Amino acid sequence: MGQLATALVTMILGVMGCAAYFYGSNFLLDKIFPTKSGAAKEVARNLRVANTIRPWLFLGPAVLLLTFYLFYPVLESIRLSFYGRSGEEFVGLSNYKWLFSSDEFYESFRNNMLWLIVVPTAATFFGLIIATMTDRIWWGNIAKSLIFMPMAISFVGASVIWKFIYDFRTGGEDQIGLLNALVVFFGGEPQTWLTIPIWNNFFLMVILVWIQTGFAMVILSAALRGIPDETIEAAVLDGANGFQIFYKIMVPQIWGTIAVVWTTITILVLKVFDIVLAMTNAQWGTQVLANQMFSWMFNGGGDFGRGAVIALVIMVLVIPIMVWNIRRANEEMEGR
Amino acid sequence: MITSSKRTPLTYLVHATVLFLVIIWTIPTAGLFISSIRDKSQLSTSGWWTALSTSEQRLVARAHEPKAQTQVGDRYVISGNLFEGDAGEITKFGSSSLRPDEFDVGVVAELKKGQTLQVMENGDYLFSSPSEWKGSRGQRIFYTAETPPRFTLENYREVLSAEGLGQSFINSLTVTIPATIIPILVAAFAAYALAWMRFPGRALLVAAVVGLLVVPLQMSLIPLLKSYNMIGEFFGVGSKTYVGIWLAHTGFGLPLAIYLLRNYIVGLPREIIESARVDGASDFDIFRKIVLPLSFPALASFAIFQFLWVWNDLLIAMVFLGNDAEHMVLTGQLRELLGSRGGNWEILTASAFITIIIPLCVFFGLQRYLVRGLLAGSVK
Amino acid sequence: MKKSLLSAAVALTLSVNAAHAADLLFKPGEDSRFSWDAYEALKAVDLSGETVSVFGPWTGDEKSNFERVAAYFEKATGAKVKYAGSDSFEQQIVIDTQAGSAPNIAVFPQPGLAADLAAKGFITPLSDTVKEGVKKDYAAGQSWVDLATFKNSKGQKEFDGVFYRADLKSLVWYSPDNFADAGYDIPETMEDLKALTQQIVDDGGTPWCIGLGSGAATGWPATDWVEDLLLRTQPASVYDKWVTNEIKFDDPRVVGAIEEFGWFARNDEFVDGGAGAVASTDFRDSPKGMFQSPPKCYMHRQASFIPAFFPEGTKLGLDADFFYFPSYASKALGNPVLGAGTLVSITNDSKGARAFIDFIRSPISHELWMAQTGFISAHLGANPEVYSSEAAKKQGEIIRYATTFRFDGSDLMPGKIGAGSFWTGMVDYTGGEDAKDVAHDIQKTWDALK
Repeated sequence: MGQLATALVTMILGVMGCAAYFYGSNFLLDKIFPTKSGAAKEVARNLRVANTIRPWLFLGPAVLLLTFYLFYPVLESIRLSFYGRSGEEFVGLSNYKWLFSSDEFYESFRNNMLWLIVVPTAATFFGLIIATMTDRIWWGNIAKSLIFMPMAISFVGASVIWKFIYDFRTGGEDQIGLLNALVVFFGGEPQTWLTIPIWNNFFLMVILVWIQTGFAMVILSAALRGIPDETIEAAVLDGANGFQIFYKIMVPQIWGTIAVVWTTITILVLKVFDIVLAMTNAQWGTQVLANQMFSWMFNGGGDFGRGAVIALVIMVLVIPIMVWNIRRANEEMEGR
Repeated sequence: MITSSKRTPLTYLVHATVLFLVIIWTIPTAGLFISSIRDKSQLSTSGWWTALSTSEQRLVARAHEPKAQTQVGDRYVISGNLFEGDAGEITKFGSSSLRPDEFDVGVVAELKKGQTLQVMENGDYLFSSPSEWKGSRGQRIFYTAETPPRFTLENYREVLSAEGLGQSFINSLTVTIPATIIPILVAAFAAYALAWMRFPGRALLVAAVVGLLVVPLQMSLIPLLKSYNMIGEFFGVGSKTYVGIWLAHTGFGLPLAIYLLRNYIVGLPREIIESARVDGASDFDIFRKIVLPLSFPALASFAIFQFLWVWNDLLIAMVFLGNDAEHMVLTGQLRELLGSRGGNWEILTASAFITIIIPLCVFFGLQRYLVRGLLAGSVK
Repeated sequence: MKKSLLSAAVALTLSVNAAHAADLLFKPGEDSRFSWDAYEALKAVDLSGETVSVFGPWTGDEKSNFERVAAYFEKATGAKVKYAGSDSFEQQIVIDTQAGSAPNIAVFPQPGLAADLAAKGFITPLSDTVKEGVKKDYAAGQSWVDLATFKNSKGQKEFDGVFYRADLKSLVWYSPDNFADAGYDIPETMEDLKALTQQIVDDGGTPWCIGLGSGAATGWPATDWVEDLLLRTQPASVYDKWVTNEIKFDDPRVVGAIEEFGWFARNDEFVDGGAGAVASTDFRDSPKGMFQSPPKCYMHRQASFIPAFFPEGTKLGLDADFFYFPSYASKALGNPVLGAGTLVSITNDSKGARAFIDFIRSPISHELWMAQTGFISAHLGANPEVYSSEAAKKQGEIIRYATTFRFDGSDLMPGKIGAGSFWTGMVDYTGGEDAKDVAHDIQKTWDALK
């Protein structure tokens, strides 16, 4: 019981402390620079000062946390990429040279590109289809919950589940893997799916699409509900059919959200490594960058220099997406 | 929301497509669930979709040792039952691994040296020999049995009775709840500032947030743990604390939280916010009274995601909380179970399903609010 | 729902605490087979109030076994031992040592990993007393000392750890009943073993079950095969030079051993499921085939720990037994034995840590685990009478009296090879790649490390 009580108290303290900061700091700001009463000139000045400070009160904790937890490690990685395996001796560009002469890197780079093309597209596509359709039927919420379910499954669970799908038993035995059972049922030969070069990458991608479609669906569904009814009613009155409404009215309206979903999943794909690690351990040609980084970083005593170099490649890959998002943000900001 | 009044062929197509997709998406999990309540010997020999049908299994059992023999007339007899309580129906049997289905059930099989073996449908067996049975090992009996479908909660019992599971359950909750709420609070304020407040450097910050989305978590572990050690030493506490892991989850979850929430908040109708500003409301008031209620759906969906990520996380918990028994989280505990019993499907399936249950409850619980929040804060 | 779950959770917590109160397995001083004087000697150090944190790869049953052993240390010295086990020990220890939050004691499943960390200066060398003790107490003591001597960050050699649990690798497991049914004899030489393999195929059976799957470590069982076969085709000196890369990985002698493994594993008729299934079958599932009806295979080459993964209720000596993986009669190389072991080192020095090392190198800590299950010891002072099974005793003897004992080479190589490209290379090889190409690739990775 003691642990439970302590846990509760710490939980409440932690959350309250956070809330108290936002309330307290804003309260203090209003106290020091009152804007509700006083001379007009003073109020105007106070308002200006308060408006300069307030964004930073709002942003403060976020900026601090981001700097400490993410920005500082990035700087550290850049430094490490020029150092040897223990991060102590300076080795110049040799880690970079090593990377670009290693076959493993090209293999994982190629695979990563496949992942980047297939997974975000498929997950967003299915998510959009399901979000649109479930809004039109009475059992839509049940359907959504079921599609969302894979999101709730830990990676340990997901890998167990999919091992059950891809399981292989030799010739005469009953197959307990669903895929092989189907193949045998239709008269085919059972396969060890995860060892078939190139294709095994797609079998792994299926798992991530299966998980991420729920994410795309939830976000897109919220956006679809935000489309004013009048817009759609007007289209229906104009005699537009279901497909036309979907392509001409709905998709353009939520285009921004689709982009967000696509970006989020793309970034997740760049970081994904546990699926590969659990299902094939990057063998049979399924290596991806994130897993390669993980294994250089921590396996065999760790080589931080090489791990950091691969991490930097992952970060460089995201630059196009960053630029594109900044443009979009700027467009939105105009006139605000 | 969008209901077409006419029942067109399209409506049926929609029903059919959704049904098809739902089935595809559910099958893997359904397989897991069904497998987890099956008897472990059936689980590893037949597919879960055959769970309801009688399965044919080839098994081996060892008869009683020679010291259990009795003398009946001039023959020495060893008898017993192969099933030992379980239900089943034997169809064939044999006494050698080379021909495990040599004899039909009920037949008196002639073995070497005048010995005989008879196995009945209900599993009763009878060895008989003209001379005394020697040695210390019981004979093997190979048999083919039709076993009816067997469902059991035994697998769950075994997982749930694992040492320390209750403790790690509490630990997981202690980690997850604050690590879900804190980032949402922090991110909501930041998102509002980035969406609706004017200050220099805003575009740069938005860019930075997108950029930081991609920072691989593994890279940050060592620099962070070093800092934690320094801070811990300064305050005279250990480096592995709950506060530490909350903040770590917050830090790692923030970019996505800010990114998603900003995108939602920026889409709120400008008139509402402008008119509030004209009325003299401060940004804090606008945020608290207008933006927060309006963004409830977005906050709720992010809460679900963050909860799931934290709940299912293993790596951060291992590094920042440690893996001793007092601090082990549920995923860690189950992973340990898998490590030590990796080959046992029944443990794997049951424990995987246990990890899913809480997140599913949270999702179904919050999903109601998600819909209600949308209706209440009707923006349109 | 939540409430009842919580109360169930609380009830579980309470019962756990009750279970922990359970005391020592054997009462000190009672069973004369144990070296109780070593236990009494521990009492000389008073560590009341001190905590010794131990981090290792043991989880589940092995963890409980170890904790039962550690309980004696706690009782004798008054210290508290906090053991944490993780199956991702290998990554975790790197993070912990690098970040400065290392445990007092680390239990390394592979000396190679310890060597990596020693080179980064994270391991505290042990005293000469301990070193001399190990040299004196262990069978072939000098070799156990050499195996635990690593270069520190300044390049000087230091003695860094005590081997605690040994594994015997050169074993072939089989079902005596199945052998009897088919009329097979236990092969005495490699030639016989190969003839038997062919014989089983001719009789319509499948001789071997081989599985290389092991999650993140897939491929390692094949490295044991190759090492065992290298020791049987080449003198031990070749093996030693191969481990340190004085003899290149793509040397014809090494490639020969790989191909020798291929003779068994790459023949569709010799392995259950065909050669294609070897790499994807989990090593824990693989031996189960021997006990099925009809048997899917007759033999399984694996280390001494494998009975833990036999089907429930399998009795060692009755349902399953082992024989020595034989050597060639045609080559006069003796009977080499391949083994491995876990290395106990100090990663965060303290008085308690030093005392714990003394405990680990005393016979009593070995005997206490030998009397449970899954432990073989090379400690000469540990009484073989306490082994809990005949099989374990037999294995203990093999390790104690081996003329040529060699440590698992992949564990000694740099982690990136021995726990990396060697594993993946073997997976590629069983998948059909050429042995020369595979060996060449591994050598390339090794070159890139320097």
